[in-house]
Amino acid sequence: MRRLVPLLAVLALGVAACSEKEQIAEFKRGKYQGKPDTPAWDNGPLPDTFRGSQWKQGDRASWEESIKKRQLAQHEYRRIYQ
Amino acid sequence: MLLTRKATGQAASQGRLSRGVSGVPAKTMDRRTFLKRSGVGVGAGAVASQLPFSILTPAEAKEEQGKVEVKRTVCTHCSVGCSVDAVVQNGVWVRQEPVFDSPLNLGAHCAKGASVREHGMTHESHRLKYPMKLVGGKWQRLSWDQAYDEITKKLLDIRKESGPDALFVVGSSKHSNEQAMLMRKWVSLWGTNNTDHQARICHSTTVAGVAQTWGYGAMTNSYNDEQNSKSMLFLGSNAAEAHPVSMLHTLHAKENGCKVIVADPRFTRTAAKADIYVRTRSGADIPFLFGVLYHVFKNGWEDKEYIKARVYGMDEVKKEVMAKWTPDKVTEACGVSEAEVYNVAKTLAENRPGFIIWAMGQTQHTNANAVVRASNILMLALGNVGRSGGGCNIYRGHDNVQGATDVGPNPDTLPGYYPVGVPGSWTHWAGVWNIDLDWLKKRYASEAMMAKPGMTVSRWIDGVLEKNDAIDQDSNLRAIFYWGHAPNSQTRGTEMLEAMKKLDLMVVIDPYPSASAAMFAKVRKDGAYLLPAATQFETEGSVTASNRSLQWREKVIDPLFESRTDQMIMYQFAQKLGFADQFLGKKDGKQNIQLVKGKGGMDEPSMEDTLRNEINKGSWTIGYTGQSPERLQAHMRNQHQFDVKTLRAKGGKDAKTGYDLTGDYYGLPWPCYGSAAIKHPGSPNLYDNSKHVMDGGGCFRALFGVEKDGVNLLAEDGSYPKGSEITTGYPQFDHVLLKKLGWWDELTDEEKKVAEGKTWANDTSGGIQRVAMKHGCHPYGNAKARAVVWNFPDGIPQHREPLYSPRPDLVEKYPTHDDVKTFWRLPTLFKSVQQKAVKEEMHKKYPLILTSGRLVEYEGGGEETRSNPWLAELQQDNFVELNPKTAADRNVRNGEYVWVSTPTGAKIKVKAKVTEGIGPDTVFIPFHFSGWWQGEDMLPYYPEGAAPIVRGEAVNTVTTYGYDRVTMMQESKTTLCEVAKA
Amino acid sequence: MARMKFLCDAERCIECNGCVTACKNENEVPWGVNRRRVVTINDGVVGAEKSISVACMHCSDAPCMAVCPVDCFYRTDDGVVLHDKDLCIGCGYCFYACPFGAPQFPQAGAFGLRGKMDKCTFCAGGPEADRSEAEFKKYGRNRLAEGKLPACAEMCSTKALLGGDGDVIADIYRERVLRRGKGADLWGWSSAYGLPGQKPGAQPVQPQPQPSSGKS
Repeated sequence: MRRLVPLLAVLALGVAACSEKEQIAEFKRGKYQGKPDTPAWDNGPLPDTFRGSQWKQGDRASWEESIKKRQLAQHEYRRIYQ
Repeated sequence: MLLTRKATGQAASQGRLSRGVSGVPAKTMDRRTFLKRSGVGVGAGAVASQLPFSILTPAEAKEEQGKVEVKRTVCTHCSVGCSVDAVVQNGVWVRQEPVFDSPLNLGAHCAKGASVREHGMTHESHRLKYPMKLVGGKWQRLSWDQAYDEITKKLLDIRKESGPDALFVVGSSKHSNEQAMLMRKWVSLWGTNNTDHQARICHSTTVAGVAQTWGYGAMTNSYNDEQNSKSMLFLGSNAAEAHPVSMLHTLHAKENGCKVIVADPRFTRTAAKADIYVRTRSGADIPFLFGVLYHVFKNGWEDKEYIKARVYGMDEVKKEVMAKWTPDKVTEACGVSEAEVYNVAKTLAENRPGFIIWAMGQTQHTNANAVVRASNILMLALGNVGRSGGGCNIYRGHDNVQGATDVGPNPDTLPGYYPVGVPGSWTHWAGVWNIDLDWLKKRYASEAMMAKPGMTVSRWIDGVLEKNDAIDQDSNLRAIFYWGHAPNSQTRGTEMLEAMKKLDLMVVIDPYPSASAAMFAKVRKDGAYLLPAATQFETEGSVTASNRSLQWREKVIDPLFESRTDQMIMYQFAQKLGFADQFLGKKDGKQNIQLVKGKGGMDEPSMEDTLRNEINKGSWTIGYTGQSPERLQAHMRNQHQFDVKTLRAKGGKDAKTGYDLTGDYYGLPWPCYGSAAIKHPGSPNLYDNSKHVMDGGGCFRALFGVEKDGVNLLAEDGSYPKGSEITTGYPQFDHVLLKKLGWWDELTDEEKKVAEGKTWANDTSGGIQRVAMKHGCHPYGNAKARAVVWNFPDGIPQHREPLYSPRPDLVEKYPTHDDVKTFWRLPTLFKSVQQKAVKEEMHKKYPLILTSGRLVEYEGGGEETRSNPWLAELQQDNFVELNPKTAADRNVRNGEYVWVSTPTGAKIKVKAKVTEGIGPDTVFIPFHFSGWWQGEDMLPYYPEGAAPIVRGEAVNTVTTYGYDRVTMMQESKTTLCEVAKA
Repeated sequence: MARMKFLCDAERCIECNGCVTACKNENEVPWGVNRRRVVTINDGVVGAEKSISVACMHCSDAPCMAVCPVDCFYRTDDGVVLHDKDLCIGCGYCFYACPFGAPQFPQAGAFGLRGKMDKCTFCAGGPEADRSEAEFKKYGRNRLAEGKLPACAEMCSTKALLGGDGDVIADIYRERVLRRGKGADLWGWSSAYGLPGQKPGAQPVQPQPQPSSGKS
């Protein structure tokens, strides 16, 4: 009997481990659940009175080009050494 | 969760996020600090639920959008002159866009410029919306007609009883050039010289001191020209907060090797960008400047050739500086060690050309007329003046303080600095204004009063309070117009309250009620009117930036609520007071200024006519004659053509008018001599004799005579503007000189008729100027700059301790001036105040130096900017900067309320801001606040709905007596105070 | 391929708050919501004071997006991180996660009730029809859809704050660094990569590139 109790204890522990769940939390990146949004270049450019830049509607490359060109206004070296 | 997750097949970006706050000393930045001020603060209740004021954007192309226009205007908040494109839809200002093309600001803005669209918002506006009258201590609405009737009746009664000098008109540095000139005219037609504006308390000492040194008292170069500079000494300027966009040019220069030196009692935001920072004592600028000059002379770093050819009196100055301003004396007086002073001198000497830059730090002292001259002398010694990249870059304050000084309401000059004491000035302007000179003379109390400079805005309160036999006019002041000016920028606020008690009439004409309304209502039950004026976005006009360029503002929107433009108000008053025709220059079948339809179809003077037919026709002395509205508007439309370093247009034609821009400097910086027809390009850098005069070149002015004590005052042989046919010095041009030179016949017959008997300054045909410049000569002569200004109280600048000085030992060595019995019509004390302070041991009771200055979020008196929620949120409490030791000694913790008291006996309640940036002997309080009075919130005294969002104590409630010996500038930069826990 | 970024050049930032009010102006953000703030380090300490303008950094791997329980965040093809306010439950978790404090909540009531999260949108609006009134009311202005860049970067007083395509920013910044003659260190480099015991803000120890002549 005295040998049985520790043996039973060890067996119980061993069995207990088998029914446990994984304790490591797994991160699952979520998927956006909100409304759809349209890219900026899908819009048509505004008249010059709004002081924006001009691009070809729907054409991403032309929008990017116009944005990058406008961005150089933040580089005063351009304006100074033009 | 984030940092311990086990990513499953995600992009390998873990670990980078911990870099988010790296490189930051934990003690000073944590997110709590970062977010502290994002909490709901003052006024949130009013604004937290604010719906965006939005307008349908054109994206919804299907509906009728209404008219969309873009108007180009200029920010109203400082003298840098940043252009703004305002998008207006159906008459509503909906968008604000940066103007990258502008050569001055390249699209950049500070907090104020980026928020100007708020001026066009009517939802929850804190504007003064309709005329109001103080009745039984409360502000009641009344109609414009009623207001006009009552005010003019009162004015005429006062005039009958006490004469025209009983009225003081405080005009505005925020008026356009046209409005400012009309203001001066209006006051003259009323019959008094008692008028003034913010320049008095801003750069009056600069204008006087600098003009007397070499000819014109304005910025010698431009903000842009700093890009061509090798060194800059900021002494008395916190440009990072007062002129933020100028730092674009400064920092660009610094990036390209320019050395930036900042000398200031505080470690300001400008100092944070300096290569060398020097802590000085407030009020001890001459010791510092001459300390630097000592080392320049000692090491032979001065530009000897330049001095010989172009400067008078430098030997005398050198003798005095070497004897008086040895390093030990310098350190004793201003607290800067010899090594630091030497370092500054060496840096300036080794890095030329260079600038000295100043604003109120130098100008607001009792001896400031001398301080600015010391700055000039330093630059002359180094040979920096009159070249690109070097000189005195004087940063003016309000958006049009330069223009208002040039052509606006000054007590001692008519537009263009023609002195009132010279009868020829009146003859000249009566001619230009097309009014009868005899009629004008009769408007004044007497011819003597007409020739006498009026009182100043810094002292109007004494005009009310002083004993009648002590003032130099018949009656005390009984009525005051605060026309576009705040009261809390003038010192001695407690006495101003006393003066308001005694006034018969106060009229405030302003887009905001201003602290004047609250102060008056606090002590009176009646006697005041508030008239809503339009802002600078609701009218057109030209404005002069600090670099002397003129820019034309287009009208963005119609005046909001019941406000009217200043020119309409002036005209309507003129009608009621009986000088409407003279106001328009209508006589003998000619009318200078046509009327145009303004708000509500009412008539108002045309701003273009005012510029073209009066300013351009009369301001020959300073060259405001070539900047016609057409040229200025062409410049505004073609800003991209102007080079940023030189401000010059290489070519280009204006698409709208065909005007050829070639050779013009942006904004035709004055002097732009001659009529628009001769197409002078403007003068970007003054006194620059590397260029032809028709190319913007120049030389020092011959204003002070031909010789002094046997020494030649004209320029030495070989010193002349490029291409000049006369290669020696010469006096100013007049008909006599032209005839002597044999050039008289080059004038047309018409020009000869007008120019006969005249000088370059009052020949309204412009012929004398035209012919002189044709020969490469400068109309005002070619002379030396004066290092010794013998007609000033101190020929060589002397250090004099402030009236309230912390150092009685220095007061003994460097005492102030003697009292003056009559100065700008008032007795003015100097020595007696200083001696009294010493005797009563004020420096023991009030051991801290109190200095005041600017914040980037606010402008001037502050009521306009503190009514803008976007700005107000950023600075919600007035505060005093205390050194940690100063605070600890008084058991004051950061953020606690304290009482700041001064020898006036008054005290103000402000929050303590404990910072190492200020030394243990000085405290600093910004001056933009008002709306509290010695601890009491003045909200009940404002008209309903028109109090600013943020209110606080005005530092000038407690500032003390002290005035400059030449210009009556107030000593707001240095006084004494004590701080105690509240 | 455009990837939108912000960079604030601490050598130029003068704490003028132009970026802050430009954002307020353009997006009509109410009192209490601060999409962009200027943070000053070592305020008043001689030689060590630096300022930097901070708003949403539009992180490539955004923590806010990762932790949001309702997944209301998305990233556009340009790299702009936006969110849908209709989904947002105001839980504030993104606020905990963000190292920059970008999420803002319009506070109302005495117990700090959070409303919908609001943050810098890189002036790209949000998931409503581009340039419509609905988009403006909820998210502020959509400047990207007008061919413009964020108002804060376009209006910066000293061109310290650069905003737009990351490659262009790198070009602009590189030119400045070359002219300054200092090493290619952003402020704070040495405390992240410097030697142990070195003071923050001190110059890095590695050899400096030679300063250019400064002329173009």
